[in-house]
Amino acid sequence: MNVRNDFPILGKYPSLTYLDSACTSLKPRAVIAAQDEYYEEFGACAGRSAHSLARKTSGKIEECREGIAKFLGAKAGGLAFTKNATEGLNLVANSFDFSKRRQVITTILEHHSVLLPLMRLRDEGKIALEMLRPGGDGMVAIEEWELKIDRNTALVLTNNANNTTGIGHDANAICKIAHESGAAVCIDGAQGVPHRKTDFARSGFDFLCFSGHKMLGPTGIGAIAMGEEWVGKMRPFLLGGGTVKSVSEAKMEMLPSTERFEAGIQNYSGIFGLAAACGYLNKIGMGKVEEHEKKLASLLAGALEGVGAKILGNPRAQNHSALYSFNVAGAKPHDIALLLDRKDIAVRSGFFCAQPGLEALGARQGAVRASCYVYNSEQEVKRLGEALQEIGKLY
Amino acid sequence: MVLCIVAFVVLGVMSVFSAKYRPLAKEAFRCVFRTVTFRPCDTGLDDRIKAEVLSRVMRFSLPAARLANRHFQTLSWVFVLLTLGSLAYSALGIYNFYQYGNCDGPQASGACILNYLTSDYGRFSSPTELIAPNDTANGIVAGDLGSNVTVVEFGCFTCPYTKQDEPAVQALIADGSVKYIFKPFPLPGHPYSRDAANAVLCADRQGKSWELRKLVFDHQEACAKGGVLPIKILAENAGLNMTQFDKCFDGNLTSSELDHYIAQGKASHIYATPTFFINGKPFVGVKSIEELREAVRRAKAGR
Ligand SMILES: Cc1ncc(COP(=O)(O)O)c(C=O)c1O
Repeated sequence: MNVRNDFPILGKYPSLTYLDSACTSLKPRAVIAAQDEYYEEFGACAGRSAHSLARKTSGKIEECREGIAKFLGAKAGGLAFTKNATEGLNLVANSFDFSKRRQVITTILEHHSVLLPLMRLRDEGKIALEMLRPGGDGMVAIEEWELKIDRNTALVLTNNANNTTGIGHDANAICKIAHESGAAVCIDGAQGVPHRKTDFARSGFDFLCFSGHKMLGPTGIGAIAMGEEWVGKMRPFLLGGGTVKSVSEAKMEMLPSTERFEAGIQNYSGIFGLAAACGYLNKIGMGKVEEHEKKLASLLAGALEGVGAKILGNPRAQNHSALYSFNVAGAKPHDIALLLDRKDIAVRSGFFCAQPGLEALGARQGAVRASCYVYNSEQEVKRLGEALQEIGKLY
Repeated sequence: MVLCIVAFVVLGVMSVFSAKYRPLAKEAFRCVFRTVTFRPCDTGLDDRIKAEVLSRVMRFSLPAARLANRHFQTLSWVFVLLTLGSLAYSALGIYNFYQYGNCDGPQASGACILNYLTSDYGRFSSPTELIAPNDTANGIVAGDLGSNVTVVEFGCFTCPYTKQDEPAVQALIADGSVKYIFKPFPLPGHPYSRDAANAVLCADRQGKSWELRKLVFDHQEACAKGGVLPIKILAENAGLNMTQFDKCFDGNLTSSELDHYIAQGKASHIYATPTFFINGKPFVGVKSIEELREAVRRAKAGR
C-alpha cells in the first residue's frame, strides 16, 4: 500500500515511524482540505437559517451524514454526530432506559470511556454492573458471555477491537446471544471501525460509537450509529439549540430524528473531514486495509517475539489487529517509549486509558503499545524490532 | 529523581539568558521539589533526560549504555554531587572576586583577570592573542638602559599577583642585565588602583617612584580599602615633597600619561596582570625569578 505521500506530516518528518495510530491516526491531505472547505466555501450553520449559504451547508451536512452512514452500513436516520467515541458511550450510558432491566454487562478490558460512565451509574445505584474477566489469552470466553447474559440484562457493552490487546471479541456472536435474551448491544468501535469493514445493519448492533480521529479524520468529531427504533427511545442528555421541534413556556417537544442528540452548533468542518476520511478509506477499500494490517500484525508479532517481549494477550489470536501491547526486559514502559522516541519511533506507553484491563492482564506498571495503520510499512515494523533488540541489551 | 537537581541548576542558569529554557527550568524545579519531598517526579522530565542520555551513549557504545542504564541512579548522584561541588566552587569564586578582586582568593598564585562583564577592556583571554607593545621607551624605567633585553611589565598596584611577583621583578632588576619598563595598568576590579598608579607616577616626577612603589605594595590592602588617604600617607613616608605631590596628584597631572599606558595595554590585548613582554615575548601571571631569568637568558641568546 503506498499512501505515504498523502500524509503531509510524513513528508515533514521523513524519518518518523509512527506506530501510535491507536491513540490517534495521521490525517491525509484530503481530510485537511475538506475541513478547510467548510470554512472557505460554506461557513454557515446547518438546519437553522433560511439563506442560501445555510441551505447549502445543511445539504452538505446531510450528504456527509449519508456518506458516513453508508461507510458503516448503517442508516443515515440513525446516525448522530458526537465529539468522539467517548461522547457516544456516555450518551448510551446516560440516555438508555434502565427502568425495566438494570443489569449491564461489559468486560474489565474496556476503555475508561466505557467503564467510567457505567461505574458511576453503578455507584449511584442506577444499574447493576458486571465486568467479565479475561482468561490468559486476553479474551472473555464466549461461554462466559452466554452464562452471564440473561433476561435481567438491559445492555451489553464491549468493543470489537481492543485497544490494549488488539484482539476483538466476536461482536456478532455476542450480539446474537444478547438479542436472544432481549438485551441491547452497544459496541465501542473506536478501534474496530477504522480498521475493518463495518456492517452495522448486518451485525445487528443496537449502538456503535467511534471517533473520527482514529480513522484518518479530524479530532473533535465522532458519531454514534443506532438502530432507528432507538432514536425516539433515548433520552438526550444534552439539551439545547437544534434538538427540539417546538418549545413553549410549559413544554418542549424533542425532535424525533437523531438531531435531538446534536445540541448546539455542530463541528461542521469536522463533519466534512470525517466524511472525507470515510471517502478516503473507501477509495483504498476496507478489504485492502484489513489485508495490509493483517500482514503487519503477523510481522509485528514476529518482531516482538523475536526480542523476547512479553506480549499482552494471545499474539496469534484470530483477527488480531496490527496493535500489540508488550513489555521488554522488565523495563519501565515509558523508558522504552522514550528510547524509541530518540530513534524516531513513536509508540504509546502507560495504561492506554484502560488501567483495570492492564492490571487484569498482569501489567501493573502498564505497557508499551505499537499500533499500525494504512501508512505503515513492513520496513517500519522491522525497524521497531531492531530498535527493541538494541534497547533490550541495556537491561 | 536526583538528576532533576542537575537539570534545575543547569536550566536555571540557562533560563537567565534565554526564555526558551524557562518552562523546562520550571518543570525541573517541580521535579526537584517532589524529589526532595520524597515523592516521584511527575513531570516525566527525569525519564526524558535518562532516555536522551542513554540514546546518546548507545550511539557509540552499547556496553557503556548498558552500564549507564544499570547504574543510572548511582551515576545521577555522582552528577548531583559534582554539580553541587562546582556550584559551591563558583560561589566561592564570586565571593573572592568581590573581596579580593580575583576569583582565587588573596594568596592564590596566578593573575588578576579583567572583569569582562563590566569593562570596555576587550575580550581577550589567551596569551596567543597578546601583541607586544611598540613603545619600549615610556614608562617607569630601571636597570641597564643599554641592554639588548627589554622587559616590559604591565602591572596593577592593587592586584595581589602584581604584588606577589614584585620580589622576583626587583631581583631581576638587581641582576643589572635588562632594561626594565613598568607600565601601570589598573584593572577595573581593583579599587584605587588608578589612584595608586597616579601617585607612583607623581613620585616618579620627583625621582622617587621606587620608594613609593615599595610602600604601596607593602601596604596594598590598606590602599585597596582606604584609597587616597593611606596613599598620601605612604607618599609622605616615601619622603616626597608633599606640596609638589599634592599639586601633581590632586591636579590629576599624570592622568593623561596613565591613560596613555592603559591605551597601550588595551592595544596589546592585556587581559590579566602581571603581564611581561621580554623582548616582545609575552608571559602572563606570576613568574618566579628562575622563570624570568631563564626567559631573559633565552632572549639574550636570541631565542
Ligand atoms: C477502545 C477505545 N474506546 C474508546 C476510546 C475513546 O476514544 P476518544 O478518546 O476518541 O473518545 C478509545 C481511544 O483511545 C479506545 O481505544
